[in-house]
Amino acid sequence: MATGTDQVVGFGLVAVSLTIFTYYTTWVILLPFIDSQHVIHKYFLPRAYAVLIPLATGLLLLLFVGLFITYVMLKSQRGTKKAQ
Amino acid sequence: MTKLTQWLWGLALLAFAWAALTMGALGLELPFPCQEVLWPLPAYLLVSAGCYALGTVGYRVATFHDCEDAARELQSQILEARADLARRGLRF
Repeated sequence: MATGTDQVVGFGLVAVSLTIFTYYTTWVILLPFIDSQHVIHKYFLPRAYAVLIPLATGLLLLLFVGLFITYVMLKSQRGTKKAQ
Repeated sequence: MTKLTQWLWGLALLAFAWAALTMGALGLELPFPCQEVLWPLPAYLLVSAGCYALGTVGYRVATFHDCEDAARELQSQILEARADLARRGLRF
């Protein structure tokens, strides 16, 4: 078995992904079938956010990936120009 | 047909089926809870796929076996290679 921080990080990732999956599944799949007066609806945002939040997160991720690629490309370009 | 075209065909079919059902183009009267579940379905599938990928990566990181002998052997081979190259004149 992997040791120390590897185990912590690995199992932490598993826990995070399971939490997100259960919360999101309850939100999207289970809530429509539960009576709208039930107290559980208090713990969930309005339904539109179930699509808006992943969409916004996806766009942010794409932004960071693009910025990283731009940064790396600029750095390598400056490196070759210095060599010339 | 390449794998890419197969995947794209499958995705296109699912997309059309979802669009037809969500916009009521088939004239079916789905019960309201089913409609509520249907329209966020693509976002749900994407999030689930992401969670599965993240969870699998995390689990494999946590359960990866350390190979002590191979690590020691590799380190000694690195030292050997460095000594050899330094002897031949390569500056580090």
